[in-house]
Amino acid sequence: MSGSEPQVGHEAGDELEGRSFTGQSVRRFEDRRILTGEAEYIHDVTPPNCLEMALVRSVHAHADIVDVDTSAAEDHPDCECVLTIDDIEESYNPQPCGLEGYEEWSLADGKARFVGEPIAVVVAADRYLAEDMADLVDVTYETLDPVVDGMAAREAETLVHEDAGSNVADNERISFGDPDAAFADADHVVEGTYEWGRVSGVPLETAGVVARYDEDGDSFHIDCNIQLHTLVDDTVYETLGRPADRVELNVPADVGGSFGTKIAIHRYCNLAAMAAEQLGQPVKFVEDRIENLQGGDMHCSERTYEMRLACDDDGTMRGLDVWFVDDFGAWPHYPVNQVLKPLSVLTNAYAIDDVVYEYDLVLTNKTAQTAYRGFGVDPHQYALEMLVDDAARELGVDPTEFRRRNLVTPDQLPYRLPSGNVYDSGDYPGAMDRMDEILDENERCEGGLLDPAAVEQRREEGYYRGTQTAVLIEPGVSGSDWTDRQRTDDEALANRSRDDVAELPEHLRAEVQPDGTVLAWLATDSAGQGHQTLVAQLLADELGLLPSDIEVDYLDSVEAPTEYGSAASRMAVMLSGASVGVGEQLRERLAELAADHWAVEREAVDYRDGRVERGGTDDALSLADLAALDDEGRTRVSYDYEHPATGLPEFDDALTSKYPVYPTAAYAVNAPIVEVDVETGEVEVLKFYTLRDCGTMLNPMIVEGQAHGGIAQGVGAALMEEFGYDQDTGQPQAITMFDYLLPSTKNMPDIEMEHTVHPSPFTETGAKGVGEGGMIDAPAAIACSINDALEPLGVTADRLPFTAHRARKRLREAEE
Amino acid sequence: MSIEDTPHSGERPTREVAVTVNGEAVTREVEPRLKLSDFLRNECGCRGVRVGCEHGVCGACTVSLDGDIVKSCLLYAVQAEDRDVETVEGLAEDGKLHPVQEAFHEEHALQCGFCTSGFVMATKSLLEENPDPDREEIKEGLADNICRCTGYQNIYRAVDRAADKLAADLEPVRDDGEEGA
Repeated sequence: MSGSEPQVGHEAGDELEGRSFTGQSVRRFEDRRILTGEAEYIHDVTPPNCLEMALVRSVHAHADIVDVDTSAAEDHPDCECVLTIDDIEESYNPQPCGLEGYEEWSLADGKARFVGEPIAVVVAADRYLAEDMADLVDVTYETLDPVVDGMAAREAETLVHEDAGSNVADNERISFGDPDAAFADADHVVEGTYEWGRVSGVPLETAGVVARYDEDGDSFHIDCNIQLHTLVDDTVYETLGRPADRVELNVPADVGGSFGTKIAIHRYCNLAAMAAEQLGQPVKFVEDRIENLQGGDMHCSERTYEMRLACDDDGTMRGLDVWFVDDFGAWPHYPVNQVLKPLSVLTNAYAIDDVVYEYDLVLTNKTAQTAYRGFGVDPHQYALEMLVDDAARELGVDPTEFRRRNLVTPDQLPYRLPSGNVYDSGDYPGAMDRMDEILDENERCEGGLLDPAAVEQRREEGYYRGTQTAVLIEPGVSGSDWTDRQRTDDEALANRSRDDVAELPEHLRAEVQPDGTVLAWLATDSAGQGHQTLVAQLLADELGLLPSDIEVDYLDSVEAPTEYGSAASRMAVMLSGASVGVGEQLRERLAELAADHWAVEREAVDYRDGRVERGGTDDALSLADLAALDDEGRTRVSYDYEHPATGLPEFDDALTSKYPVYPTAAYAVNAPIVEVDVETGEVEVLKFYTLRDCGTMLNPMIVEGQAHGGIAQGVGAALMEEFGYDQDTGQPQAITMFDYLLPSTKNMPDIEMEHTVHPSPFTETGAKGVGEGGMIDAPAAIACSINDALEPLGVTADRLPFTAHRARKRLREAEE
Repeated sequence: MSIEDTPHSGERPTREVAVTVNGEAVTREVEPRLKLSDFLRNECGCRGVRVGCEHGVCGACTVSLDGDIVKSCLLYAVQAEDRDVETVEGLAEDGKLHPVQEAFHEEHALQCGFCTSGFVMATKSLLEENPDPDREEIKEGLADNICRCTGYQNIYRAVDRAADKLAADLEPVRDDGEEGA
């Protein structure tokens, strides 16, 4: 277990005799600049003459804006500029939204729809002064009843958007197989309601932007920490009313975490850019934490599930019925498709053919949702595993055996889900068995946490212990073509063929430098994943160099082609493929260059270990020699790696139907050992066992780091974190880190991790996506472990976060 | 941008503040409301002081003030008058990382890095007070800093490794060149 045996690390300049760098724990290039304070995050970017922006934000959840009096601010000598909706409507466009029919401006347009919604922009010499000036802007409101509860919003008379005619912005019911027959035939139908609280990634660095406008070129240079800067740049250039090539979005090499949440920070980019254009000076904005938590457009899924499982007396799962409401807040921001991503793991690791899937995407008076690690799969897996536990109890079977009986077996892999996605490789029953062994050896024994005598003893003292294992799948890589399913009309959808599928490749460039090192450029942005190190490892193997011979830089949104970027557990797979392609091309180009230099046939030379050799002679040209010979750009290559699913007929149906396509299925079996204090309701995770399989591990140190961090976020989502709202006023209740509680050292158990490796047959290196796993699999595992602990009392964790307050409530109800 | 360059109405009061930052004397005329975190970042070039919450929870702005760790977002610059501030910029010597910095690198105890300066300063302080902390003492000692990426597991390992490195550095070298017990 890696809990006691850490990965052996290597420095980037270490030689590894006879071994490839891919697969080794090469320590990160990124670290030194961060550890010394030299790393440049967005808050460190301050060009000369840079002004700072502050925002006047709505104090009401739902209100007509009667008047915005900016006179006192404008009269103040420290005020550089004030912008209101009138100013921006005159010169710019609404922001592209996630669904058709919603016209969202960067400032509230006569109506405030959530607390914290920006109403006016104020610019001054620094942030202190800008906030002073913001205080001088006087907004007059006429308050309206707020829409706060997602379920009630569906029928509410009050509409968040009157023009839309309903608070349900999108819904779809999709049937696979014959669920009606399955439910009619089955011996049992078990149903449950499960709620998932509003959470988010809350990276330690907030959103930030520094916008510059060039009058001569009528163009913008916008440094910002947006995620997916080549994919979502339309949310900025379309708003600014300029073509894509005149709005450069440049993301610093160091971003202080994102986890999906910085995908939708375009409002800030737009407002700072507008102010920069109006003033002819650079304008900077770094969101403060309160802005971020209450009105930063960065919350994620808040769902109520009603699920049904049809099963037979013998414990066979026959059919699944999924229905849920997702509260998206005030605007259906991109990416609305997180209500669809669960289709990629529709039945998790269980073989169920007949399924119905339906959702209502509703709008309320809360700050808008964006993506967060897991992208809507985490609540699906939680609700499904809760239902499985409830069903096992209703059938009177052991929950672990019930699961085991219905798992997809190794001989069924690759396994096609009813919803079209395909699981690539693995051994799910084997993983369950192995975790049983781990628990037997370490905990279900004398002195262990699950020693039956100890469990009994603790229970007498009022502390209930338990754990429950399950296989939980992390879909990896995603495609891009399905992501606009909700904006595609039904007729077009029905008439699509395989030829209509348009996926985005992964772009990578490399060039030999005069000193013989290689400089590569990534088209994605990064936020702590170690992409620079990973690409250096991969290219070092391709080119026969050391990782320290390879430098990795980033492209801005104009230099890079439109591509997807770092999301959806995507980069391990896509960078693997792109690196292999760049390596092949560069080796070939260098060999051709050398052959031309020696005036011999291409076949007479070989690329080997960082140089080109001439067969039958001692002649060789180093990379530095070749760079010196090159006057035609022949030592520079770029490569676009096609999405792996596009070459696989297994995915044709899903691609054509615009169902989510995730060609890798990493998985985990977790066993968090939880203990519930039935007097206080507090839940403690005493230890967290996890057995994980993400195929080939490109860098085990980084893989484990991703899992650790994801599990920590899962602990937060399961037990601590939630954006609550006052049900009467719509006022947010978590606007500081005193209210939105992030796990600290006090809340995190020790994690004991073990790996198995079933390489993906669908990817270049056998790697699978790995970025989101812990956040997807930890909440479900913790909830089911609580169910196990409280089984004698008949209480389940049917609402996350399962806070002490909620636990006490459930325990009291169970007593009555 | 320094305050002197800032065009303003000149009506706000300022005060001179003299602070020693990483061993160097710094004197500036600042507004009394200027936070120590912003002073260090914008006036002293210590951008490794990260600002994550500005209400004293996240710990990204943790620095050492006269040997005690503080959250610099909860202090004003003028409160550091005549005092010694140490930031992460002051740790490496002649380009060689401090053992705590080395250990964080070697154990992959950082990902996005935004919390890292604060954790490094808090770890250094913890090990100065307790050179050989057990796991519970580490958790207690670092409970005022938040990391959103690592789940803390590798931070614990880094603290153990840093403790070993510092202990090795402290071991006396005998005249015959062999390390003492």
